[in-house]
Amino acid sequence: MKFLRFVLLAACLATLLPALPAHAARLRVVATVPTLAQLAREVAGADADVEALLAPNQDPHYADAKPSLVIALNRADLLLFNGLDLEVGWLPALVRQARNAKLLPGAAGSFDASRWVQKLRVPASVDRAQGDIHPGGNPHFSWDPRAGAAVAEGLGTALGQLDPEHAAAFRQRGATLAQQLRALAGQERQKFAALTPAQRQVAVYHDSLVYLLDWLGLQQVATIEPRPGIPPDPAHLARVVGQLKAAHVAALLQEEYYPRNASDQVARLTGARLVVLQAGPRDRTDYVSYVRGLAAEIYAVQSSK
Amino acid sequence: MRNFWIVALLATAVAARSADAAPAADLAGEPTPAGLSAEDQAALSAAAAADQPAVAPPSSGPSPSANPAISLLFGGSAAAFSRPDPPQMGGHDATGSGFNLHYLELFAESNVDPYFHFQTSIAIGQEGVELEEVFADTLALPGNLHVKAGKFLSDFGRANPTHPHVWSFADQPLLLGKFFGPDGNRAVGAQVGWLLPLPWFAEAKLAAQQAENPCCNRSMLGDTPRPVQAADDLQYTGSLRTFAPLSDDWSLFLGASAQLGPNPHVLGLGTQIAGGDLYLRWRPIADPERRSVSLQVEHARRQRDVGGQSLVDQAGYAHVVAKVALRWEVGWRSEWATGVAGDPLDPDWTSLRTRHAAQATFYPSHFARIRLQVSRDMPGWLNEPVYGALLMVESVVGAHGSHGY
Repeated sequence: MKFLRFVLLAACLATLLPALPAHAARLRVVATVPTLAQLAREVAGADADVEALLAPNQDPHYADAKPSLVIALNRADLLLFNGLDLEVGWLPALVRQARNAKLLPGAAGSFDASRWVQKLRVPASVDRAQGDIHPGGNPHFSWDPRAGAAVAEGLGTALGQLDPEHAAAFRQRGATLAQQLRALAGQERQKFAALTPAQRQVAVYHDSLVYLLDWLGLQQVATIEPRPGIPPDPAHLARVVGQLKAAHVAALLQEEYYPRNASDQVARLTGARLVVLQAGPRDRTDYVSYVRGLAAEIYAVQSSK
Repeated sequence: MRNFWIVALLATAVAARSADAAPAADLAGEPTPAGLSAEDQAALSAAAAADQPAVAPPSSGPSPSANPAISLLFGGSAAAFSRPDPPQMGGHDATGSGFNLHYLELFAESNVDPYFHFQTSIAIGQEGVELEEVFADTLALPGNLHVKAGKFLSDFGRANPTHPHVWSFADQPLLLGKFFGPDGNRAVGAQVGWLLPLPWFAEAKLAAQQAENPCCNRSMLGDTPRPVQAADDLQYTGSLRTFAPLSDDWSLFLGASAQLGPNPHVLGLGTQIAGGDLYLRWRPIADPERRSVSLQVEHARRQRDVGGQSLVDQAGYAHVVAKVALRWEVGWRSEWATGVAGDPLDPDWTSLRTRHAAQATFYPSHFARIRLQVSRDMPGWLNEPVYGALLMVESVVGAHGSHGY
């Protein structure tokens, strides 16, 4: 009874509280994954605060919908998310709890990065027997500087709509970053094009590097997961070993948040090198350096073959 | 009448198709009224054809649809109990040895417009169809408020507001069965939620609901009809929850709940239930095997005025669930529920009842799980413990929304 009285009293007090300021001095941007957060930081410059909901080494498919994230969303002016259902397991529940009209679908503060990107692997039909496929297309584009460029430009415009005073600066930074990224994309692609066809073959753990491989002109000859999201069985791994040996694959690529037992064994049996990629930039590494670093890491292994 | 509608629909469809086809027939057929020569017409046809893309443009995803996200959830088991009438209390529990259908739920949800969200859950059992939940709730009210109206599970504790497909054990906790009913506590009503303006997550909720509902409000009016004439003919549920992210890997969620309502024996709010719950979770966020260990404890105390007599009893559970590998989970649950003499709802339940269960679960994918559970139940009114073992299969198909923490 006492408890109920407390709740009622608290509710009454709440109505007396003055409304919280609708706009802080600077825009508050919340990005789901750190790679997109870094992109946003560079477009926003000093004119907005950017925070990421997840850590760089966290698998964005399987994050917990922690209520603490509701607070960040409740106060945000713009939500930058990957889209294509990458965050479907946790983000919708948080957005609904956040009670923030600015972030609802269709609002100016709801920024679906995937809308700016040329999508790859859009399935013609969807059947769960195919594994955990994404009906809108493969969502793992955030490592592709071509996609990054398009998102940076879009973000420049979107931030400008929310804060017209700094619109020109947002657009300018977005355009500059996009230019740098497109230049980087061209340089790296050229560098990889000089590799022999055999050196351009790789194996991966999950179907999450299709944009990266498409950018660098690499060919995915084998996948540790038999279907997206389904862990491998021994028979499948035996087939993968055969595929890697036949193609003399130099590198087995995977993000840090995927299991390594099967990959270690396959690497050991085939002589391929397991390259564990950082899934997000650390310590505010800029986006260009981060993406260039990924390409350099892969190039070092492929060219050494 | 039904045939009439079918014929009408078919006729409409045929008419629509003919209308679509009409312009094409004109282009391919006789010279148009404009009197174009055959050559000019051929040139126009060629130009029109050239403007058509050679192949369909790449799709940007599934065709957008305004349909709600619809999913079907199923749970069934093969069970063996040491007595023919095991004292299971949940409406979705296995009721005896042999094969059991635990649930088939049709779940649908969608935003209604920029202001409201809609959700429903319909349980289809062997005995019929039951509307479990249907409600509309607000998306973004000012003042960090949230309003929900319809038929919904009360926000009392952690287990009550959830559906069986997210439970960590194959049966409903005794706490829910004894204090609320076979389907937990739910009824038609309205709820206001408020996200407190604090730097951390804290949410208060207050709901008023109908107190009469045999499946779900047994400590209230249950199946006793009493028209609502005053405020104390309804049941009220209040809760306060707060979340502490202790570190990236550790989280603590605490809650306190209270429920007041009428019972058939006295006038006024004769039933009071108060409870507390704790959820402590360790999940290293960067672990590739997605391992985690969660401790959940819930305890509640119920007091009922039953015509001059005050009946007090308590119930709760504690469980530990460990995700030990990518596809494997194990768990242990201990439950307790005291009894009181003269209880009109459970006359035999006069002493402490404890139940322990252990489970091991295999997840072939995120959309299915196979669970083996064994349990030992010691109801005070039986001479010997009841042992149970069951192998349960659960699956979800369709688009199913994400769950809260």
